[in-house]
Amino acid sequence: MKQLKEIARKQKNSMYTLVLMSILLGAVIIAQAYLIVVIVDSIFLQGESFHVILPALLSLIVVLGGRSFFTYVIGRTGVKMASKVKRNYRKALLSKYARNPMQGALKGQSGEKVSILLDAVDEIDSYFSKYYPQMIQTTIVPIMILTAIFSQNWVSGLIMIVTAPFIPIFMIIIGKATQRKSEEQLEKLAQFSGKFLDILQGLTTLKLFGRAKEKQEAIRQSSLDYRDATMTVLKIAFVSSLMLEFISMLSIALVALEVGLRLIIYENLPFFTAFFVLILAPEFFNSLKELGSAFHSGRGSMGAAKKVIDELEETEQPVQWGDAPLEERKEPPAIELRNLKFSYGEGSFSLKGVMASIPPASDVAIVGRSGSGKTTLLHLLSGIIAPSQGEILVNGKGLHQYKEAEWFDQLAYISQNPYLFSGTIQENIAIGGKEEATIEKVKMAAEKAGIAEMISKLENGYSTEIGEGGRGLSGGEKQRIALARAFLKKPSVILFDEPTVGLDLHTERVLQRAMKELAVTSTVITVAHRLHTIREADQILFMANGELVAKGTHEELLLSNSEYRSMVSVHEGGNTK
Amino acid sequence: MNELRVVIKLMMKEKKDVLLSILFGFLAGMGAVALFANSGYLISKAAITPPLYILTMSIALLKLFSVTRALSRYAERLYSHRATFTKLSNLRVYFFERLEPLAPRIFHKYRSGDLLSRIVGDVESLQNFFLRVYYPPIVMIIVFLATIAFTAFFSIHVAVFLILGLILTGFVVPLWFTVKQRGILQQLRELRGNVSTEATEFLYGFRDLKLYQRLDEQEKKLTNTADGYVSEQERESVQELSNQSVIQTLSLLVSWAVLGMGAYLVAGGSLDGVFLAMLVMTSITVFENATPMSAFPRYYEDSRRASSRLFSVIEEEGMETRGVEDDWEQIDLTKAPAIDVENLSFTFPGEKRLALKNIHLSLPAGSKTAIVGPSGSGKSTLIQLLLKMNKEYEGAIYLNGTSVRKIKDEAIWKGSNVIMQENHFFYGSIGENLGLAKDDLSEGEMNAVLEKVKLEEFSLTDSVLEKGGNLSGGEKQRLAIARAMLKGSKLWLMDEPTSSVDVLTERMIFDHLLHQGDDDTMILVSHRLIGLEKMDQIIVMDQGEIIESGTYEELMDKQGYFYEMKQIENSVLM
Repeated sequence: MKQLKEIARKQKNSMYTLVLMSILLGAVIIAQAYLIVVIVDSIFLQGESFHVILPALLSLIVVLGGRSFFTYVIGRTGVKMASKVKRNYRKALLSKYARNPMQGALKGQSGEKVSILLDAVDEIDSYFSKYYPQMIQTTIVPIMILTAIFSQNWVSGLIMIVTAPFIPIFMIIIGKATQRKSEEQLEKLAQFSGKFLDILQGLTTLKLFGRAKEKQEAIRQSSLDYRDATMTVLKIAFVSSLMLEFISMLSIALVALEVGLRLIIYENLPFFTAFFVLILAPEFFNSLKELGSAFHSGRGSMGAAKKVIDELEETEQPVQWGDAPLEERKEPPAIELRNLKFSYGEGSFSLKGVMASIPPASDVAIVGRSGSGKTTLLHLLSGIIAPSQGEILVNGKGLHQYKEAEWFDQLAYISQNPYLFSGTIQENIAIGGKEEATIEKVKMAAEKAGIAEMISKLENGYSTEIGEGGRGLSGGEKQRIALARAFLKKPSVILFDEPTVGLDLHTERVLQRAMKELAVTSTVITVAHRLHTIREADQILFMANGELVAKGTHEELLLSNSEYRSMVSVHEGGNTK
Repeated sequence: MNELRVVIKLMMKEKKDVLLSILFGFLAGMGAVALFANSGYLISKAAITPPLYILTMSIALLKLFSVTRALSRYAERLYSHRATFTKLSNLRVYFFERLEPLAPRIFHKYRSGDLLSRIVGDVESLQNFFLRVYYPPIVMIIVFLATIAFTAFFSIHVAVFLILGLILTGFVVPLWFTVKQRGILQQLRELRGNVSTEATEFLYGFRDLKLYQRLDEQEKKLTNTADGYVSEQERESVQELSNQSVIQTLSLLVSWAVLGMGAYLVAGGSLDGVFLAMLVMTSITVFENATPMSAFPRYYEDSRRASSRLFSVIEEEGMETRGVEDDWEQIDLTKAPAIDVENLSFTFPGEKRLALKNIHLSLPAGSKTAIVGPSGSGKSTLIQLLLKMNKEYEGAIYLNGTSVRKIKDEAIWKGSNVIMQENHFFYGSIGENLGLAKDDLSEGEMNAVLEKVKLEEFSLTDSVLEKGGNLSGGEKQRLAIARAMLKGSKLWLMDEPTSSVDVLTERMIFDHLLHQGDDDTMILVSHRLIGLEKMDQIIVMDQGEIIESGTYEELMDKQGYFYEMKQIENSVLM
């Protein structure tokens, strides 16, 4: 994969280290062979005494130490490169997500994004820690060995040069065959391997129907089928290693034969050369073979890298904030929607030219069927996504011309499923405050949001850990925590996504009372699902298919808009029957 | 090793494959040693012009050894992988045999949804046990012993060095790194968990983080955690690398010592010089077999953990179920039973808050009861206790006057048609999934129920993907109802069976249900308050308590909790 190679090249220092260490490694491998041969030759043929070879023996130990050391440095450099790349990718992904993850979050892809950030980035590791260093090593070391052999005995060199290319050729041919075969088997494999999970997941159902025991045999069978399907794929891979082994072994045997024959029959080769060649030949082939296995681990990285790069290249609509101050006035800001358009991308849902004006401290209900664009409109109003066309005017100025912090300081957003951060209840409420909130203020807010009583019953009270890994709260309790945040913040604009179902009466009552209280001093814009909210709104924005089809009060819309009328009346009819 | 006892036991079931793997691994290892020893001997001999027949023999042997090595390696791979996959199959079956009696209770105990994928993953990761932990050391030891025996024939000293090498590279170093690695791997898992949690928080909580201006803070925190995780990964890789380097250094040192000792002996005249090259080549080659030992620590630790996690699930649970088997009471569930609940209280394990508080209920045989209330009020828990999916509660539940504690779990399940909130559908066809309900169902019967639940457009041969992935929520619910209808038991336990079905279809299905189950006892947990007029009794729950109960008219007249919920529901659009 090109991108990965480029990234590797950019780490110049590491690359130079790899090249240098590979050259040194090649040198010590040759030196090792040379010294061993010198020692054996002196003792065995020249009949020298032991102390003559001592210097060579001592040099050899240095060389061997060097060999371990250079191998270690190469590995370490690869590991460092991998770490750097992983860090950079994570950082890039995070800052991309931080800029605009809303589209992903809105499309419900958060889980997938977590997996890219964690798993895919991790999988890139082996390209840098294994494949790349091995590749550099394999481009350098075998050539050096070959040169050394050529310098001593060109016939052996020739044998190796002729046989060596078969290794990559076979790797490619068989690699392709394996891939094709495994693609053929892919569906089967997925099906067999999924069976165990499928049965485990359905175990409750199976038990309830008294069918669980029968499934034992199904598990055995699918496991064995999986084994057989995998083995057909693996067999090709094994045959490929067999061929590689054959090539290198036969080549080495050929070299041994050649030097042996020339040594004895033609007597035109000294023992020194013959032994030297014989020690280096396996080093040569080992280096080539190692690339093969490194390639295997590098390939997994490439798929993962593609995922990460695709993610990084995905276009975004960044939200740019300005630096105009939004001074706090006595009354909430006036908001004006001018021809507001937004699209989640081609072919998907879009919002088409919404025009409306929201006077300070008014009470607006956004009404429409699901998928009509209500929530998108609410997100646009919050400023976390930017309209593709048109603008939102706040006190006569474009929303995004203001400082981000100052707008958010005046805003509260109460969603249907408020997010609880891992931390204590106190921290979770205090997050609403503009500055560090005292426990007294937090308690007061909790009181107003009708959750103080429930908290006081907890063993650790406001210090109870909630959120990820902490204690779970019911939907109604989460809503009340969100309300407490709003009470603490005292915002001038409140965006509220009214729950559709499933709250307890206590929360329902608290919600009604609290929203009324908050509405006295703030502009409240609600995606409304309850008739009383709609009836009491100063203005209703009635949405259908991304368009604002009508606006006015409940009574006005009942008179003027038949679609609205039918929606309300059909609903009422449906319930009272 | 204790944690891996069962795995080893299961593996030894495939004795033939295991032995063949070891045999061929040995042959492959020895093939290489013999090949290089022979070539060292060959050229040494050649240097001193021996008789030609010795050379020809050596050359013939050379070919034989290379072919042996290549073929043995192939056979070794084949058999070892076969053994591994067969072992996985045995392992799955073994595990399932033991998990099966514990379900479904165990799923309620471990509330985390990833228990199952963890089980599957753990079984999968045990495939490395045989391939990289179990047999490579065995092969290594045998190859070394054979080689040592061979060298001892020429020089005891050389053999001693090789023994030393075997002990160091085969035992001391891998074990030392295994111990060192354990701490790092543990740390690594924790850090990974933290990254995952924080990333989840970052992405799922994005909107709130952004609006509360905590996004930068969280981004920094996450970046730091992720960096820490990478650093720890680096530490782990470097550790493994060190292990590899130490093994390599030791191998080279031993070969060096063999060379030095050999040279010394030859110079002193106690070893024939013609064997020197051979001994050196032997030593260099035999250490190839030590290479897999550098991966040993990691795979050993992985396997150990996977195995201990896997079996802790079933062992711990196994304790609880034993001992009560003997005195089950038989009750007749072929007729609609009466249900009585007395003073029932229940807390989920690990939680303080009561999920159910002093519940009293009396449902006569053949009665129709609806349980309503906000989410988290304890409605579903009541059904689960009735089904004995959790047994650690106070108070009692009676079926026809017999405490369910004394009734066999299977008997209750057999006697009831259960529709849960989440119903599983298996990979296969619609027909196969419906067929679970009862043996020998005819196609006609199945098609008839499909029609009743308004799924007449489905054919029995239509395929179903895993977890019913190709079905909508409403379709799955209706299919679950169809399956329950086919089962035909006399007690109906339904937990929000139609929450994703539109109101009109829901009513039609309920009409069929009430018709079929006219004489049956029915409990319906419902979120919606529509269509409850026909029920004999409505139980209203909030925070684990029964707040009110009565018929629809009674509750509406009373203008209490139910009435108010009804008012709210009426006022909710869509």
